[in-house]
Amino acid sequence: MTATGLKINQTYEIEGISASPLMVRMMEMGVMPGKSISLLQKAPFKGPMAFLIEGNILALRIEEADLIQIKGS
Amino acid sequence: MEVSEKKAVKSIAIIGNPNVGKSSIFNQLTGLNQKIGNYPGMTVDKMMGYFQIGNKSFELIDLPGTYSLYPKSEDEIIAQKVLNGLGMEKPDAALVVLDACNLERSLLLGTQVLDLGIPMAFVVNMKDLAEKRGLSIQTFALYKELGVPLVLTDARNNQGLEAVRDLLSNDDFAVGKPFYELGFAALLEEVRLKFGFETPYQAFQQLVFAGYDPMLDQERKQWLEDKARSHGFDSQIQQTRETNQRFEKIKSTLSRTQSSGSGKPKKFHATLDKVLMHPVWGYVTFLGIMLLIFQAIFAWAEAPMDLIDGVFAALSGWVSDTLPPGVLTDLLSEGIITGIGGVVIFIPQIALLFGFLALLEDTGYFSRVVFLMDRLMRPFGLHGKSIVPLISGMACAIPGIMATRNISNTKERLITILVTPWMSCSARLPVYIILIGLTVPDEAWLGINLQALALLVMYLIGAAFTLLGAFALKFVLKSQEKSFLMTELPIYRMPRWQTVLLTMFNKSKIFVLEAGKVILAISIVLWVLASYGPSGEMEAIEAEEKAMLENVVEEQKFELTNEFASRKLEASYIGILGKAIEPAIRPLGYDWKIGIALLTSFAAREVFVATVATIYSVGENVEDELTIREKLNKQVHADTGEKVFTRATGFSLMVFYALAMQCMSTVAVVYRETKSWKWPVLQTIGMTIVAYLGALITYQIWS
Repeated sequence: MTATGLKINQTYEIEGISASPLMVRMMEMGVMPGKSISLLQKAPFKGPMAFLIEGNILALRIEEADLIQIKGS
Repeated sequence: MEVSEKKAVKSIAIIGNPNVGKSSIFNQLTGLNQKIGNYPGMTVDKMMGYFQIGNKSFELIDLPGTYSLYPKSEDEIIAQKVLNGLGMEKPDAALVVLDACNLERSLLLGTQVLDLGIPMAFVVNMKDLAEKRGLSIQTFALYKELGVPLVLTDARNNQGLEAVRDLLSNDDFAVGKPFYELGFAALLEEVRLKFGFETPYQAFQQLVFAGYDPMLDQERKQWLEDKARSHGFDSQIQQTRETNQRFEKIKSTLSRTQSSGSGKPKKFHATLDKVLMHPVWGYVTFLGIMLLIFQAIFAWAEAPMDLIDGVFAALSGWVSDTLPPGVLTDLLSEGIITGIGGVVIFIPQIALLFGFLALLEDTGYFSRVVFLMDRLMRPFGLHGKSIVPLISGMACAIPGIMATRNISNTKERLITILVTPWMSCSARLPVYIILIGLTVPDEAWLGINLQALALLVMYLIGAAFTLLGAFALKFVLKSQEKSFLMTELPIYRMPRWQTVLLTMFNKSKIFVLEAGKVILAISIVLWVLASYGPSGEMEAIEAEEKAMLENVVEEQKFELTNEFASRKLEASYIGILGKAIEPAIRPLGYDWKIGIALLTSFAAREVFVATVATIYSVGENVEDELTIREKLNKQVHADTGEKVFTRATGFSLMVFYALAMQCMSTVAVVYRETKSWKWPVLQTIGMTIVAYLGALITYQIWS
């Protein structure tokens, strides 16, 4: 599962980030394997998603959220 | 001698993640003593500030906010060049601002700067928030680990800044212990020697930046690429490895030097977000806030704008009355003073708009708007961040275009700059009002006033062309850059009035100093064209006017002066130009008099009203819109005897003003923001063509 499939307000763990030119950019913003992640809000019409990642809120488009692999489930 | 003088001022670069409070610290230290300059070959502005501590002078260079020193945008390239002294003077030391709540993340950048080998210190900001979250940082232990002094601050509340000042004045900067273990020792040593660097990490950075540095000459670029290839150095892989290893080491360092608390923002913020980012209430709130801001801009900008207008008119009159009559006096009073007045008049709108924008940004609301609007903007090749420039464009395109700075994707920023002038700005309003009054009956249809409806349609035409234009440009402009949205939504905070006021001041200053030059130059050219004509003719008319004025009674003098003002404008170069373009604008339903108004109102759209008043010899009293309207209503074409301002002509003119550039100040600002004449020139040509076609179609439909 990727971060696009998260249920709102439930806490998950990041497993990894798919290889992409945005990978380094995500890592430097704190999106790293082992970090906790939960979905806070979705903008309408498949707009951006807001995630709480280790105390910081990050807004990502679906394409970017899809790069984040989630552990388990 | 020169060397010792240079050494008298210590230059310090300040760098940190976005939203870390770096600008607070910069502002607290430098106050109003700030200067905006250029990095050679870059479009990002160089912000510098100056201050003294005791008898020591400091120059603070505010580097763009960034999360790392990886080459992603101009911001990082500038940071890398400044910190290594490449192509510019190297600062004596660096202050790296860290986020007390996000030490792990901010130390990524922090340890990168450390490895460059520049003398430095850490400022751990937002200690108040960290305390609230139960985080405690053992600064001494961290200092032992990193080898670099740390200062704890809460810059928003002006706490800990004394310690920063002490650190600066005692020159407590230190070169840290190398943090990241690099491979490729032989390769890095070769690069280090070739470029004359001090540390291997500088060489590593140079290799990584080789493909992005616009200032690097071809020979060195090629050399770096060849070296990287022969050593099997892949910069993408190396960056990933570096990030991973840095974070691992940072984590283990922090586990020894920081005791963690909840690390979570307060419940209050989450509740606020539930409303402000809600799929329905979020948009309603945003619309409400925007309406309020516009209301305020229109209500508060009017008085100072009228005042500026009055003061410059009085000054111009005083100069022409006091100084001996002649060309120079005319140039000063009508060309230069009026031109400067035309620049200054924009300050109230720019200052107010940026004041509100700074307020929204500083509270943290801004990035929520980006979150909400991104999906709506994307189909048009725009970014969520484009919404603010576009909406600002409804007051004035100038602050709107100046607000495109934070759109990091070059293509999306360019599209936003190019289409913003199509939003219906406040300068179009006087033009619309006079033309609607002339051509649309003041009647109700289904209870809706037709004139109000016409005005609404004009605003909708502006918005529609903005979006359509963006949509078209999406396919025209080529870009390798991938569009993405990765924005931090910072926690809500109370705005700092100092920041808001400084933003208002700085934005107005940039506009006056940078765009003002171009505006002044164009307005002087326009004035010369409108006041002078081919030799002899103007003088002949003036002589005739003088002779006639002596022979008429006092009551008729006013009307006579108006008539001669009209004849003089007709005989001027611009009058001749207006006549010359008549064949081209006849299909739009305009005569040469309107042609002159089109040319003069390139200065600013509202000039249309004044020019029309002069050319149809309405007189000075242009405030009286009814007088102009009556006069215009009587105009007939000289050859056919038909009315000039028919409904078709009126509508065609309104469409023309909705779509044509007709604003030299916007041209100047686009030049300033894109740092090239290419875009403003293409934009003006493009908009004029679209305006011409739009006006042509409108005229043909209604005539």
